[in-house]
Amino acid sequence: MKPGSEKYNKVLNLLRESKPLLDSTDDIEREVVRQIMKINHRRITIAGVFDFLFGWVYIGWVRRCLITASGAMVLVFVFQQIVIIRRIDMLSKQIVVVDKGSLSKQDDEVERILAGYRNFGRRFPSKTARISEIQMKELLESVNELKIRYKEIDDLIEGDPELKKLIEKKLIENNRNNTNL
Amino acid sequence: MIDIRLIEECRGGNFNNFRKLVELTSPFAYSVAFRMLCNEDRAKDVVQETMVTIWQKLEKIKSAEVYKTWIYRIVINKCYDEMRKRKRNPEFMTDEITWEIISNRISEAPSATLENGETLKIISVLTNKLSNKQKAVFVLSDLEGMSNDEISEITGISKSAVKANLYHARRSIAEKVEKYL
Repeated sequence: MKPGSEKYNKVLNLLRESKPLLDSTDDIEREVVRQIMKINHRRITIAGVFDFLFGWVYIGWVRRCLITASGAMVLVFVFQQIVIIRRIDMLSKQIVVVDKGSLSKQDDEVERILAGYRNFGRRFPSKTARISEIQMKELLESVNELKIRYKEIDDLIEGDPELKKLIEKKLIENNRNNTNL
Repeated sequence: MIDIRLIEECRGGNFNNFRKLVELTSPFAYSVAFRMLCNEDRAKDVVQETMVTIWQKLEKIKSAEVYKTWIYRIVINKCYDEMRKRKRNPEFMTDEITWEIISNRISEAPSATLENGETLKIISVLTNKLSNKQKAVFVLSDLEGMSNDEISEITGISKSAVKANLYHARRSIAEKVEKYL
């Protein structure tokens, strides 16, 4: 059977003509109004709680005090930041006291070189030498450079027997002169 | 037709006007809900919920024409929700008795109408194999007499989809009518 057949049309007409009857809209009206009132009441309750908790922010003098306090807090924060930055800057410029204890975490070679530097130079009494970090780095770099150069000269002398002989001769002469003196 | 002035007055929070709006809106909202759900109590619940939603969103209504489409859309969506719930707890329907009622009614005078109880049984038996969309399209088109454009706007599906759903719904119902009548 196709949708256009007689029986189908009859059934459809029957259903079309039989509009569902709503006996009374009063019950629906009443229920709708009750639900709306309930929703409104809930909204009012929530609004009341919010007013109770945060309503004080609408009081003029309280608001002004809060604004002042927040402004003061911002100023204090900025001031503190400036002080901290200045101190960091000042500390970064200060000379660092380097003694044995402070170098304990560095390798033995650095310690040995520093000790050698102190003993060899005798320019500063022990544990009173004050050098900056930059100077310390420069010192270590120059020591390393000297070591490399010394190795290069040593290799050069070892590679040239005539030069070696000449230097040995000069050293012996120097030693003799020193002994005579 | 609902007067736009009535809607505007309702926006002001006038409950008396809103009661009038409920009175005017409920019958056609009930008709669709009843035919969709095939249950009087659930249809009334849907109408109530629809009216509460309308009260909450009255601000959005711009014209009386939009109002009617909008109401149908709310009703259909609420019916979908109900049908999803009901899918979990399907109601048992006696097909044989219903087909007997249909047979008796269509053999009576052409002007014969059905009672609410009979109507819901017949629609339920005829549409129980249809999907929710097919049922909505069938109810709105063949029982409520709406155009495809209106149905497309209410259900939010394309016009071609409306036509396809309607075709399948009609064919399914026609097959049942042929089989049992």
